[in-house]
Amino acid sequence: MSKVSYLKRYWQLYALLSLPMIYFFIFRYGPMYGVQIAFKDFNLFQGIGGSEWIGFDAFREVFNLREFYTALRNTFMLNFLDLLVSFPAPIILAIMLYEIKGVWFKKISQTILYIPHFISWVIIGGIVYQLFGNQSGMVNGVLEGLGLSPIPFLTEKGPWLVTYLFTGVWQSAGWGTILYLAALTGVNRELFEAAEVDGATRMKKIWYITLPSIKPTIVTLLILNLGKMVSIGFDRPYIIGNTAVREYSDVLSTFVYRVGLESGQYTLATVVGLFQAVVGLVFILGSNYISKKMTGNGII
Amino acid sequence: MSERTSNRIFDIVIVTCVALFVLFCLAPFLHVIAVSLSSNRAITSGEVTLFPIELNWKAYAQVFSDNAMIRSLGYTVLLTAATTGLCMLFTIAAAYPLTKGYLKGRKTFMVIIIITMFFSGGIIPEYLLMRDLRLLDSTWALILPGLVSPFNLIILISFFNNIPQSLEESAEIDGSSFFRTLMSVVLPLSMPVLATLALFYAVGRWNGFQDALMYINSPELYPLQLKLFQMVQNNMVSELTQMEGANRTPLTPESLKAATVIFATVPILAVYPWLQKYFVSGVMLGAVKG
Amino acid sequence: MTVNANQKVLKKALGVGLSAVMGMSLLAGCGSDSNGNTANGGSAVEGDNGKRVTLKVEVFDRGNSPAPHTITNNFLTQMVQERFGDPNNIDVEFVPVQRSEEVTKLNVLMASNTDVPDIVFTYDSSVFYRYAQQGGLTDVGAILDEHGPNLKKFLGEETLSYGQIDGKQLSIPGKRAVTGRYSSYIRQDWLDKLGLPVPTTTDELYTTLKAFKDKDPGGLGSKNIPMGMALAPAQFETLIYSFIKPVKGDLTYGQRYELPLHEGFKDAMQFLNKLYNEGLISKDFSLDEDKTQLGKDLNNGYVGYWSDDVGNLAYADGTLDVLYANVEGSKISAVDTYTNANVDNKHIKSRYASNGMYIMIPKSSKRAVEAVKYLDWMASDDNLVLMYSGVEGENYDLVDGIPVVKPDVSKEFADRLFNGGDMAIISNGKNFGDQELNQKAWISGFPERHKEILEQSYAIANTDTVGPIVFSKPIEAEPKYGTTLNDKLAVIMVKTAMAKPEQFDAVYEQEMKDFMSLGGTQLKEELEAALKDL
Repeated sequence: MSKVSYLKRYWQLYALLSLPMIYFFIFRYGPMYGVQIAFKDFNLFQGIGGSEWIGFDAFREVFNLREFYTALRNTFMLNFLDLLVSFPAPIILAIMLYEIKGVWFKKISQTILYIPHFISWVIIGGIVYQLFGNQSGMVNGVLEGLGLSPIPFLTEKGPWLVTYLFTGVWQSAGWGTILYLAALTGVNRELFEAAEVDGATRMKKIWYITLPSIKPTIVTLLILNLGKMVSIGFDRPYIIGNTAVREYSDVLSTFVYRVGLESGQYTLATVVGLFQAVVGLVFILGSNYISKKMTGNGII
Repeated sequence: MSERTSNRIFDIVIVTCVALFVLFCLAPFLHVIAVSLSSNRAITSGEVTLFPIELNWKAYAQVFSDNAMIRSLGYTVLLTAATTGLCMLFTIAAAYPLTKGYLKGRKTFMVIIIITMFFSGGIIPEYLLMRDLRLLDSTWALILPGLVSPFNLIILISFFNNIPQSLEESAEIDGSSFFRTLMSVVLPLSMPVLATLALFYAVGRWNGFQDALMYINSPELYPLQLKLFQMVQNNMVSELTQMEGANRTPLTPESLKAATVIFATVPILAVYPWLQKYFVSGVMLGAVKG
Repeated sequence: MTVNANQKVLKKALGVGLSAVMGMSLLAGCGSDSNGNTANGGSAVEGDNGKRVTLKVEVFDRGNSPAPHTITNNFLTQMVQERFGDPNNIDVEFVPVQRSEEVTKLNVLMASNTDVPDIVFTYDSSVFYRYAQQGGLTDVGAILDEHGPNLKKFLGEETLSYGQIDGKQLSIPGKRAVTGRYSSYIRQDWLDKLGLPVPTTTDELYTTLKAFKDKDPGGLGSKNIPMGMALAPAQFETLIYSFIKPVKGDLTYGQRYELPLHEGFKDAMQFLNKLYNEGLISKDFSLDEDKTQLGKDLNNGYVGYWSDDVGNLAYADGTLDVLYANVEGSKISAVDTYTNANVDNKHIKSRYASNGMYIMIPKSSKRAVEAVKYLDWMASDDNLVLMYSGVEGENYDLVDGIPVVKPDVSKEFADRLFNGGDMAIISNGKNFGDQELNQKAWISGFPERHKEILEQSYAIANTDTVGPIVFSKPIEAEPKYGTTLNDKLAVIMVKTAMAKPEQFDAVYEQEMKDFMSLGGTQLKEELEAALKDL
């Protein structure tokens, strides 16, 4: 096909695409010159252009900080645990909701399940402390009443990790189901009827019909999640974390906040951001490649 | 065990699990409501859990008598509606062409988009851009920078990809233009995911306030969540405020904070039940048959 | 079929979206219209001597503006325009900055050059030093001499010295009215019940806490907290200051994270460790950074003894009010217990420096003269009283030379002063140039019923205080390592307190080694060198 006839045939597609692409170039790539800060001794008043080049000095400084490696390790650890626990949770929950027959119960449950997503971490933090504190926490109060010894939910590594994961599942599982529920509307009901005739059990139907039909969505989200392995939100580790477990709750975002933004060292903050970006890009492209080979699904 | 009993047990187990989780999710919300209705004494003594103590409506009376708050609610509703509309238009416009495997440059476009998920210029260049575009202190500053979320875009592409090619092809053979295929075949078949993404955008905008912190100076253009943030954060005793000494302002009563949280949350919570009607099963099936 | 139905829905949805967008652009128009002329109270007079200019002034927004006031247009902004702006042919425009995001926003504004207000400020000395170091601030020395006589007189040499770096006046520090910071409190009814005297030394305090624990005068069982503790400065600084040795006279290093560099810090940690292991302090203090839990425990009457910011318990509906309502017969006394063996057993405690916030004029500002004039105006006549206390007869009556809030002041009049403290940037607290008057004015801000305990607290807070040392040039390690070390200080306290007594030494050594390796060494060297140069 010649160029002219190609364009003649497909110009509409390019026209559609042009608007969002203009957006990406202006609003996303426009400020991108800011990554230079990582290679400069950034002075607020001389601006990005006027500040002096320092090459990779700031990278060397960051990579020599022991705290950076602790934060990196914790980021990986918490994200990995989240991937094991928080990632499957909405899938299981969505399938359970899909299996429920009572229309009203289903609708009301869905609406309530996503409420935690709207409660800010500051408030969640307050509630978590009220529930899980050692002396004043309600859960430990109950344990004490039963004659059991209190569990240091917030001040010791193991229990703290469980608390951290639990609050994550609690906060995001309901919200996460929405997308899977949207995907589940595409399940072909006729397949169930056929399976019924064959005498398949409920579990078998879920395994062979329901799950495969949302597989593309699961794979897409899994790839997107893998891209985020070295980036982590600020609020959850910062608020659920505390001084006693600082060695495990300090992650890259809190590290950047502390050494970079809070003390005005934009250069260090940008270096860490750049590091996260490169690793994230490698992860997402890598997992996309592997996924394409293995399942045929991918995001590109 | 007969098939029917095992079926029943299965149902009961599932309903119980979901009901338990629902209770877990509801409890903190009930707690916030209880706080908003309790007396200051009971709250600061830590007596309030799930039910109001020394019930009173003062906090709500104060929230509802605050004109700025009511105005802000109206503004935020409009802002959220406009943002959602525009975001959906742009996201759909990007997603549809990118599902076409034969589109030249498709992979390049995808990579360009994915890069923006990871790399950004940072807060200062972004502020300078808004200034140079003369968008500071305007509603557009809260809408334009987030027009397309790459995350949402990729999800939409993945859903579009699941629409049987045969449907689109038949439309294309009919001589239908791409634009018409999009409008008459692709979008109607994608209502559940469109509703979901609209919800994502709407909630994102509703809960967002960081951009307003940076870009907005006029109190009339403060989104509701910014006002809530001020109330929750600005009044916290912290590292930040301890140098204020004698200038320290009295804290906002907890009940007022809680009432504001409820006031700012309930409207957006009401959106999902309304969107649920688009989550109808078998859309695709009907189309294939029809 | 389905397709058609959904198409309709879709069109409707798009329609709603579009019309909302159109409405929005209208709204946006309104918005930018109405914000152009903020604080435009008086009539605009076109002056003879030159053009009317705009002076932009930062203002903290705490989201507490009562209707109909907004943070940029209210009684005080209008008053500023009328009394200062119009006579001087200046439009005063206020730029709100969210209180809790102050520094982030200020950095961005500074970087923009164009949007930065002519007057900005912060309480954070490291932010001031950083701006100064990067060469972004105007040296106002000469302008101050020419246009700020009242301001100079009001602030005084000592306060002004906090804004000088290498002899240049790079910021104008506000003046602090009340430098007393902390007081301690005890449950008098518990002491009475046990027949114990008021403890006056650290050792006596320990004995008293032991008695509180063993004899449980409140009958609280496991809820009993002999000493209330939180991971907040008011609680741990009081304890630490009673062990450390000042570096020079009555001066200590200025930053909190520099506490571990003082002699005696280890003893403080050892004492904390003892208190914790013997169950004398709040078990969960490490989780309580914002004092929420401590506040609840206090209000419920679980706590026997604690330290706090002076006056913090006396707000309306505060600890005193709630405790007395909750626990019948409870009684709180202000006490000065901690004694410092390193300083002749005096009741050493920290005070605030005599400055408030650092007011700065960015180098890019073309209105430095007008900015100083504005601050000078604020310092002259009774303008500060007006900002803090409002109008005589409407808001306050003059009693013994100080404005006392009228008991029957209307909501309208009270509301219009909501931002008084944030507008009167040159003064932290009500300044009358005399400690006694300042104290009275301070107490008059609290409910009358707590007058006695406030007077005691005030006296205690001002006894044997030590203040921060001021060097002539900033310590470069401070902005660089400050936040990290501050975090580490918290870790040191928590880890050493919670260690088993026999492991204390090992844990302390380990944590301090960590502290030094995270920048503590560089900081120590620089501080010691600066101390020698003084």
